[in-house]
Amino acid sequence: MSKADDTAQKIPRDSLIGRRIPKLDGPERATGRTVYIHDLVRPRMLHGAICRTDRIHAKILSVNTARARSLPGVKTVITAADIENVPFGHGRDNYALKGDKVTCQRDEIAAVAAETEEIAREACRLIEVEYEDLPPVFDAHEALKPGAPVIHEKRGDNVPFRYDYAHGDVEAAEQESDVVLEDTFHLQFVTHCCMGSSGILAEFDARGNLTLWSLTQVPFLYQRDMSRIVGIPPEKIRVIQTTIGGGFGSKLDIYPFEPIAVHLARAAGRPVRLLFNRREEFIASPTRQPTEIKLRCGAKKDGTLTFRDAHLIHDNGGRTSWGATTPFVMMHCFSSLYRVPNVRFHTTVVNTNNPYSGSMRGYGNLQATFAVESQLDRLAEELGIEPLELRLKNSLEQGETTGQGMYLETCGQRECLETATSSAGWAEKHGRMLAPEPHLKRGIGLASMVHVGGGAKIYHSDGCGTILKADDYANFTLLTGSSEIGQGSETVLAMIVAEVLGVPLDRIKVINDDTAVTPWDVGVHASRTTFVAGNSAKGAAEKARAKLLSAAAELLDLPADQLDIRRGQVVRAEDGEVLIELGKVIRKLHFSKKFETVITEHYYEPSSKMQDREFKGNVSPTYAFGTHVVEVEVDTETGVVRPLKVTAAHDVGRVLNRLGIEGQVEGGVAMGLGYGLTEELQVHEGRVQNPDFRDYKLITAPEMPEVEMHFIETNAPEGPFGAKGVGEAPAICVAPALANAVYDATGIRLRRLPLNPERVLLSLRAGREVLPEEMP
Amino acid sequence: MPAEIEISCVINGELVKARVQPAERLVDLLRERLGLKGTKTGCEEGDCGACTVLVDGVAVNSCLFPAVEAAGRAVTTIEGLQGTNGELHPAVKAFVELGAVQCGFCTPGMILRAWAFVGENPNPTEDQIRRSVEGNICRCTGYVKIIDAVRRLVDEGVER
Amino acid sequence: MSASECRNYHRPTSLREALALMAGSEVPLWPVAGGTDLLVKDHRRQMPPGPWEMMSLKHVPELNGIAKDGDAIRIGGAVTMRELAADALLGERLPVLALAADHMASPQIRAVATIGGNMANASPAADLAVPLLLLEAEVELASCGGESGPNLRRVPLADFFTGPGTTQRTKNELLRALVIPAPPAGMRFASHKPGTRPAMVCAHASAGLGLLMDGETVADARVAFGALADRPIRGPKTEAALRGQTLDEKSLERASEAARQEVSPISDVRGSETYRRELAASLVRRLIRACRD
Repeated sequence: MSKADDTAQKIPRDSLIGRRIPKLDGPERATGRTVYIHDLVRPRMLHGAICRTDRIHAKILSVNTARARSLPGVKTVITAADIENVPFGHGRDNYALKGDKVTCQRDEIAAVAAETEEIAREACRLIEVEYEDLPPVFDAHEALKPGAPVIHEKRGDNVPFRYDYAHGDVEAAEQESDVVLEDTFHLQFVTHCCMGSSGILAEFDARGNLTLWSLTQVPFLYQRDMSRIVGIPPEKIRVIQTTIGGGFGSKLDIYPFEPIAVHLARAAGRPVRLLFNRREEFIASPTRQPTEIKLRCGAKKDGTLTFRDAHLIHDNGGRTSWGATTPFVMMHCFSSLYRVPNVRFHTTVVNTNNPYSGSMRGYGNLQATFAVESQLDRLAEELGIEPLELRLKNSLEQGETTGQGMYLETCGQRECLETATSSAGWAEKHGRMLAPEPHLKRGIGLASMVHVGGGAKIYHSDGCGTILKADDYANFTLLTGSSEIGQGSETVLAMIVAEVLGVPLDRIKVINDDTAVTPWDVGVHASRTTFVAGNSAKGAAEKARAKLLSAAAELLDLPADQLDIRRGQVVRAEDGEVLIELGKVIRKLHFSKKFETVITEHYYEPSSKMQDREFKGNVSPTYAFGTHVVEVEVDTETGVVRPLKVTAAHDVGRVLNRLGIEGQVEGGVAMGLGYGLTEELQVHEGRVQNPDFRDYKLITAPEMPEVEMHFIETNAPEGPFGAKGVGEAPAICVAPALANAVYDATGIRLRRLPLNPERVLLSLRAGREVLPEEMP
Repeated sequence: MPAEIEISCVINGELVKARVQPAERLVDLLRERLGLKGTKTGCEEGDCGACTVLVDGVAVNSCLFPAVEAAGRAVTTIEGLQGTNGELHPAVKAFVELGAVQCGFCTPGMILRAWAFVGENPNPTEDQIRRSVEGNICRCTGYVKIIDAVRRLVDEGVER
Repeated sequence: MSASECRNYHRPTSLREALALMAGSEVPLWPVAGGTDLLVKDHRRQMPPGPWEMMSLKHVPELNGIAKDGDAIRIGGAVTMRELAADALLGERLPVLALAADHMASPQIRAVATIGGNMANASPAADLAVPLLLLEAEVELASCGGESGPNLRRVPLADFFTGPGTTQRTKNELLRALVIPAPPAGMRFASHKPGTRPAMVCAHASAGLGLLMDGETVADARVAFGALADRPIRGPKTEAALRGQTLDEKSLERASEAARQEVSPISDVRGSETYRRELAASLVRRLIRACRD
């Protein structure tokens, strides 16, 4: 732009925040160009497969691999005897290959690398294992009894963990309560069902460096843990994340197939790719943990909550993964969903010979919220108080610190309750819904949730690093430690950087998949990416902006604070007049006497604190709130519960990418509806009975009701542009709202999920909840 | 050794000759031999729809379809859905712009089924639209935006 | 490459050729129309051990087409669900069948899965069995004959199923067609497969009813059940409970009670016996309402 130009171009200030931005990687994915682990091929690559136990609880007497080894095309067969078996997992009770005993259906006994996947799987079938069966235990209560079979002898009993939390004085509060209720809730096994199944590719280079193409959502912790498990120094391990076909928490831990692939690649001297098929995915990937919750609560006549007392038994299965730690998050719900002055929480984590659980979107909060919100409806009825009124009366408010020490710098709970219910027509509908035919009944239910909104400080750092690099043409490469797992973080991080820098979105490239390139991050979990990685990216972008503006100021001989960057041009802030193209500023900086490039870095550490020994403290810098109102129609002849509409209100701090956040809510609602209505991994005597999509029923398109969304913008002061994390929130309070709606429709209180047609119909016929163990 | 059968078919507009085994699945021919990795396998049992391709314009599960039966027919995979003038294909565009893509694993199959549906049903009922992708599972999106994309394609009308 | 033991593929273009191939084959020859069950079985290595060969039925004209045959309607064994659902003749004359085809599996599967395959596989939950039993369809089986053409025999569908996955079809027979006689004038049909979604579901129970009224009285009734016994069945006791009755609350109760008693479901991953009996009773009530109103 020439200075002599009379009609100088002017650019108004515009903003990306709150707009509907399609995912930047959408075209790659939608045209089938994206390379998932299943599509990745390396030269000389072998295919791995795993031979799993066909017993549930047994000693391994011998493993004969002779027939497998002699199958043409087989390169390597390994058993526990061939590897250094280092224990891993949260309970240090898992091994890559099991040598002494098996404790559940998933257990890995041997592995094969072969020229094709077919040959590798065939070889696995030829491996002969001799077992000595041990008495199994499938019920957590049985496993707690004296004399029960002990699954991990070293431990001496079947209780790897107990959690105790308390604030206030529950016993005194009970004395002062006008109403006390007790219920027992049962939550089932469900699983992630990522459409892209699990897999890994391991390759050693000539100098013994290991590259892992992995689906992990925690690459830096993974690098560290893998090092210990396979005995390779961490500096010799590089983790490259291939595009993930769905995460939902499933890739938070290391599972045996991953070190197995490393051992196979090392033994074979060739790259090895190992993929799960769908049946394996159902049988051998983690689940949400099944839980029994005995919950007591009390209130004054006026509806003031007095106490909550929760006793939980977790079926931890045959080994320990992150599922055992979900009580951390459950206690947030019991302690801080509404204002409760006295809370006690006790969880016993019990080993059985069932499948073991990992982390899954919501991390225990779905189970806990189902119990709390179902019981609140009962309490409202007992007190004769309208359910919404009861919740509003005990709603948390901004500025409050909950009994567990969670400081609510912002709090949209009341607004979520009011917005969702008024939009859904709660007052006109609750207790009054009419169905079009006599065999149908309609009802409406509500439930709320609280969840961490900016990560959870469970390690000494919950931070994320960013490097931002400009090229000579004002394109910016964002190197972030935080991964994309399909949720759209790449897009939102690019938006934040583009917003700060004032450049078009297509000038931002995000690199987020390689430990050799990206700065450290703790991983994708606890709804932290937008908040933590977003703040980190924002910090790096602000540093770059400052540098660019100061360089431009020098070039233009104007004060930096009178300049702005808009659409990739340096402009006069006052009127938007274009002064110089941003790329030119960068080139001047680079090639004139300064010889500088624009590369900035920022490490953001949230202000949250690790909880103390009593589990108290402000574990997250912000908290997300939400309310769902669900309307259902119950077919009293078939037991089918049809969701008619979901009205959701979420305190998201601030909407960054409206399209992305809507997608998170709709996807979370679908997952919550599945949890509430159709999904159950049926486990009988330790074996999964329905390892396919035919009998493990996910919600499909025709079952999906209308979803009306309202975003409550409370502007979290520490959040990037005020945003909170919402990845997990929308899945959390669907199921209790469903159960409350079914109660409103039918008068039957169902305390066990899912509310599938069988359970609903038999309960309707009996006039009370019929439990599966009562069914012949 | 099983007999191999020589077939000719048109894949994404190009004549392809291949020798296939009798029970070879179309998905294996496409992915493993022709490198058309845009076709995904989600369950290999016809329950998820990720492997959907079009055979003579009709959506089928390529994991259930014998490769040999492609002989003399036209197969379209996601790689074959090309737009004009360097633009995205209208079906791809609708999915991307309306936010119907998250992890993307189900997306190619979903788009092909949506495209076939719109071609077959120029004036669908609301019920037909909601059922249009009943054979395709998505774990990420909750389907709302997928159905929005189908609706946009219906509203735009299909010129082929 | 695949570890399949399928050794060869045949593509007959006439019924005569297909039947001759079957009669002359030394290894098991699996007729394939849609292939939706066979390829999964093969991929999962659930085929009987040993080599086998595949014979496509897609190119046999005698197995295709839906046509009037006098008063009856003939449906070729290789007719797909998609064709059934969209067929104008069926839509007009036998909508209960067209609707069941439309509610089976997914659009992708309906495009290839066939009526012959659905019957020959003989799942107790076979989606088309309920309407076809109601319509008193006959199965036409063909085997290799002499110069004059194939040997044909007809078996009432109710007798065709002999147990879960088993039928009266012998090794060298092909399911050539389903022949559906014209239903009694005025008989109204309905069938229902309950579930949370219209299709994409293996029935945990399904039922169908044909009702012929004479004024206020039931002149004739046909009842069929799916997934409620070891094979798809007719419900003679339920039918008897309806015949000659006026459709008041008492007779509805008797019929639904008869249904509960006469089905013999198992408990499995899709539902318990108790639930399935309950559904049988419920469905009969619902279907009576649907046919009556």
